[in-house]
Amino acid sequence: MVAYLIRRLINAVLTLLVVTLVTFGIFFMVPKLTGSDPALLYIGKTADKVAVEGIREKMGLSDPILVQYGKFLKGIVAGRDYANGPDVQHCDAPCLGYSFKTEQEVTPLLMDDLPVTLSLALGAAILWLIGGVTAGVISALRKGSIPDRAVMFIALAGVSLPIYFTGLLSKQIFVNWLGWLPEGNYVPFLESPSEWFIQMLLPWITLAFLFAATYARLTRANMLETLGEDYIRTARAKGLTERIVIGKHALRSGLTPIVTIFGLDLGALLGGAVLTEAVFNLRGLGYQALQAIRGNDLPVILGVTMIAAFFIVIANLVVDLVYSAIDPRVRLG
Amino acid sequence: MSRKTRAIAAAGVALALGLTTAACGGSKSDDNKTSGSGNGKSAYNAAITSVVNPSTTKGGTLNLWSAQDADFWDPARGYYAFVWNLNRLYTRKLVDYASAPEKPGLELQPDLASALPEISADKKTYTFKLKSGIKFDDGTPITSKDIKYGIERIFAQDVLPGGPVYLIDILDQGQGYKGPYKDTDPNKLGLKTVETPDDSTIVFHLKEPKSDFLYLLAMPGAGPVPQKRDKGAQYNAAPASSGPYMFKEGSIQPGKGAMWVRNPNWDASTDTIRKALPDQINLTVTTNAEDMDSRLIAGTADLDVGQTGVQAASRTKILQDPTLKANADTPTTGFIRYAALSTNVAPFDNIDCRKAVIYAADPTSLQTARGGPIAGGDIGTSMLPPNIAGSDTKYDPFNRLQGKPQAEEAKKALTACGKPNGFDTKIAVRNNKPAEVKTAEALQAALKAVGINAAIEQYDGGNISSVIGAPDNVKSKGYGIEIAGWGADYPTGSGYLQPLADSRFILNNGNYNLPLIKDTSIDALFDQAAGETDATKAADVYSQINHKIMEGAYYLPFVVDKALNYRNPRLTNVYIHDAFGMVDFQALGVSDGK
Amino acid sequence: MSLGPEASVTDEESALTADAAEVRGPAEKAIAGRSLKQIAWRRLKKDKVALGGACVVIFLILIAILAPLLTKWFGHPIDEFHNETLDPTFGTPKGAFGGISTEFLFGVEPDSGRDIFSRVLYGAQTSLTVAFLSALVSTILGVIFGLAAGFLGGWVDATISRVMDFLLAFPQLLFSIALVSVLPYEMLGLNARWSRVAVLVCVIGFFGWPYIGRIVRGQTLSLREREFVEAARSMGARSPRILMRELLPNLAAPILVYTTLIIPTNILTEAALSFLGVGIPPPNPSWGGMLSSAVPVYQIDPMFMIIPGTLIFITVLAFNLFGDGLRDALDPKAR
Repeated sequence: MVAYLIRRLINAVLTLLVVTLVTFGIFFMVPKLTGSDPALLYIGKTADKVAVEGIREKMGLSDPILVQYGKFLKGIVAGRDYANGPDVQHCDAPCLGYSFKTEQEVTPLLMDDLPVTLSLALGAAILWLIGGVTAGVISALRKGSIPDRAVMFIALAGVSLPIYFTGLLSKQIFVNWLGWLPEGNYVPFLESPSEWFIQMLLPWITLAFLFAATYARLTRANMLETLGEDYIRTARAKGLTERIVIGKHALRSGLTPIVTIFGLDLGALLGGAVLTEAVFNLRGLGYQALQAIRGNDLPVILGVTMIAAFFIVIANLVVDLVYSAIDPRVRLG
Repeated sequence: MSRKTRAIAAAGVALALGLTTAACGGSKSDDNKTSGSGNGKSAYNAAITSVVNPSTTKGGTLNLWSAQDADFWDPARGYYAFVWNLNRLYTRKLVDYASAPEKPGLELQPDLASALPEISADKKTYTFKLKSGIKFDDGTPITSKDIKYGIERIFAQDVLPGGPVYLIDILDQGQGYKGPYKDTDPNKLGLKTVETPDDSTIVFHLKEPKSDFLYLLAMPGAGPVPQKRDKGAQYNAAPASSGPYMFKEGSIQPGKGAMWVRNPNWDASTDTIRKALPDQINLTVTTNAEDMDSRLIAGTADLDVGQTGVQAASRTKILQDPTLKANADTPTTGFIRYAALSTNVAPFDNIDCRKAVIYAADPTSLQTARGGPIAGGDIGTSMLPPNIAGSDTKYDPFNRLQGKPQAEEAKKALTACGKPNGFDTKIAVRNNKPAEVKTAEALQAALKAVGINAAIEQYDGGNISSVIGAPDNVKSKGYGIEIAGWGADYPTGSGYLQPLADSRFILNNGNYNLPLIKDTSIDALFDQAAGETDATKAADVYSQINHKIMEGAYYLPFVVDKALNYRNPRLTNVYIHDAFGMVDFQALGVSDGK
Repeated sequence: MSLGPEASVTDEESALTADAAEVRGPAEKAIAGRSLKQIAWRRLKKDKVALGGACVVIFLILIAILAPLLTKWFGHPIDEFHNETLDPTFGTPKGAFGGISTEFLFGVEPDSGRDIFSRVLYGAQTSLTVAFLSALVSTILGVIFGLAAGFLGGWVDATISRVMDFLLAFPQLLFSIALVSVLPYEMLGLNARWSRVAVLVCVIGFFGWPYIGRIVRGQTLSLREREFVEAARSMGARSPRILMRELLPNLAAPILVYTTLIIPTNILTEAALSFLGVGIPPPNPSWGGMLSSAVPVYQIDPMFMIIPGTLIFITVLAFNLFGDGLRDALDPKAR
């Protein structure tokens, strides 16, 4: 078990390293291949030679790429210093870099946006888990019935709807036509829980709908498979009540795969729900990443990619561990 | 030479048109009286010509909103127009723009200086005396050395990039000064062309006369900075204040906003420009412009400091509701949106081919692409915005005001150019400006009708200085048509036109004389204007330059930019300041004291 | 599929085949003397919903191919401006429902008056081209690497599996945006539209291959141990022959199913990238791009958002219905 854990952890760290290296490579190499200057990308609107040289020096852009990468890694582990005029500026570990475009450290900037993404992902996750699994279970138990068909059709429609369309549509309907909800503007939970709830409601529902559709389909398929297994038949033959058969046996093994996927989905969302955040103007990690990409703010792009990969890798790890705990068939080793 | 980055900023400094706007803005249909210079009542476009709700009531909190964060709060680095405007709250300069609507607002008044400078007979030496009793927010007196230090910081482009660099061009004079951080002078005051003989005197030595010099000193970067509090790039997180308001400690939150409270060490008797009515000023940066609009209309937000206009949905709402409309203005922002025709790309080396493009363009579809007559602006006819002395809105050499493409004229021009069946070219456009992309599409469609096939090429907007700003690149890529926009950094004819048309302003990188106009007679006219002390005569010279540019068919002006902005009815002292093309933020107060 | 914009990272099909031991080769069921093709076709014929999906798909492909003709007959050129159809003050279409009329079947675009009907037809061209070609790229890569991993085993399998895990554990949408946005608009001598299509095909196709790869690997692993492969090997067949003659035909069914199912995801991804401003550059229409330009005006001209959105929905739904049906037909136990 310990050896397995250590191996998984090493794997996770390696994956993170590769993600950063690839991101790093793309953003430093591609501009070179296409003939534009990364330093110029940084300052954007000014082209003053002195300014470009200053940026190049500060960013260490003249160093070989591996040296730059090494410095970046060192910053995460031990923090690093940036020369900035009269002062040397220290960036504490975990230092994800320093955005010269906005004159701020990347780590606190992203930590600022994290609560928004957390609110969005967790709230939506609760909704879709409840909604999707319930619909899936009902569907499976009443296979072939009208409710089953309706659920399955809605679910299929749900996975076929792009969120940037449902998002706009729901805004148009609930905000503009019906006037039930206000125009979105995120309010932190600690500032006003009720406002926070009202503001997040539409993004939650829209995002959850998409996922609930997938989960309903998945739950139904798994449940059907489980219900066909011998041990369920045995349980029924033993005369156990339907309630116990379904609630204790079928659900447990039918839902095991859901746990896996739930973990992975949540991990992916925590790295920034780019489209949802863009449609609902939520300043979360995904929104920040989009802004950074549009403004060529490499340190921020790298930072978000790191955090996103971090969540995905952690989610994978957790899922594997949980899976091994709840499914005895999985051997560790 | 000066860097023309201004137009690239999302909201560059803009000059507003005073009188003319009301005439074309459609205020006739309004039920409110907009006549004359105002009775102080709120009406559609009333803030353009008069002070709406004049008042001296102090107190309350002003709630400013913006859909875009400041570029930099550091006065040496900010370049957005609204940031320059907000700098009036916390940065005083030797001279600053007067507090008044229309033309009087363009007048420079002594601010930290006790009077306008004494200028030597050869017009090369400017001597300012400072007022007494002027202090920073921590109570230390402001001396001439603080002003010099502030100006020196602009030279440190390696640490503090972002702001305008006009003063480097004028004051360096071969010294190669690298800014105070690399200064070997023990007091870090090594810039030779600026002298501070005593704490209340500052002397500027120019190499040659520059009639616009005072305008450069009115930019925020020429404000005082206390050396002790300067932390280089980090100064941006807590700039010192010399004005009536200072940043509340720790209130600057990137991407979220800032807060100002009263500066206890500001003495109203030393300041003839600022009113300082509210007790506190909050700026909230939002990611949702539609939310900001609905708050403005609901009265929970006071003003959009971006002043770039409300979103399409609110535009419709405001214009269709007379009560809302009475609290809205559509000032011109001082920008002209245009296409430049590159003379170094064939066949635009031929004037008739350039004329063909101008005639073939559809003025109305270009105007609609920019947002229509109210949110977009009036159809552009020449290259001098209406508020700058020397402009003439009736001057329409290509007959664009009638609103239709002129295929006949275009065909004639094509024949004269030797390309009767048209030709192929490319339109270069920034990918991050949806309205510019739309105008490129509109232009492409109109040119197709006369046989000119223009392919649209988008480029990363951040790279403007090395893409269309580099003539060699333009030539090798074959960008015959370049979409751009330009607003002046200071409101004079040379401030606006020189970067666009003076051959000596052509740069290898960051060029803004996009057509590469090399006309010695135009250059000579600029020199004549620089030496002209009589404003009326200068205006006449600028008018001549404008005519010469249009006769050369170098530019195709799309629109004279406008923006529909809404103001909360509770605001007092609202007027459009012509130097910024937007409401003068420092003058605002709130009537209900909240 | 995870590239599928903010969709669940794992869809049910990959969950079922995640464990190689659980994979049931479709070949198993082909014991009744009838070929799998015949059985599948019989089942598919009975599945009305799937056939409906197939009809819509065929219809969409047809209109995409015939877009130039249809535009000529029923519409206006995609880049022709019609100022006369717009309100001069607001730039919004005159008339109800976004200016829908007999002249402009789907109304006109705000601020330009361009014909939305023509633009969505050409948008279908772009969407379907990108979706099909990127599915093809994913399939080719997935089959090559999946076969290699499953058949060769050892370090090859270990390496390829790690790469697949890595790609799946990757912030893909973010990365695609970043990647696409730094690439130039024109390259390889193609014009802006087709070079961007090529870029999108490569990026979407590249991030999609691990899904196919995992399935192919799993199937190969189980097929490798089957008697008929053993038999072929004992008769002296060499690896290439076993791969081409014995394994690939048996893999055809799952490959076909998952290729079909990856197409709708690709349509969504292409639209998402265009929506985020890194897709097909204007004036070339794309559905995602149209939705993106509808964002500032959706409140005053909802039709401009509804039309491309609905089209994306119908297209993706049709592919999903057909893909589901195909899977059921080829492997009924998967449901």
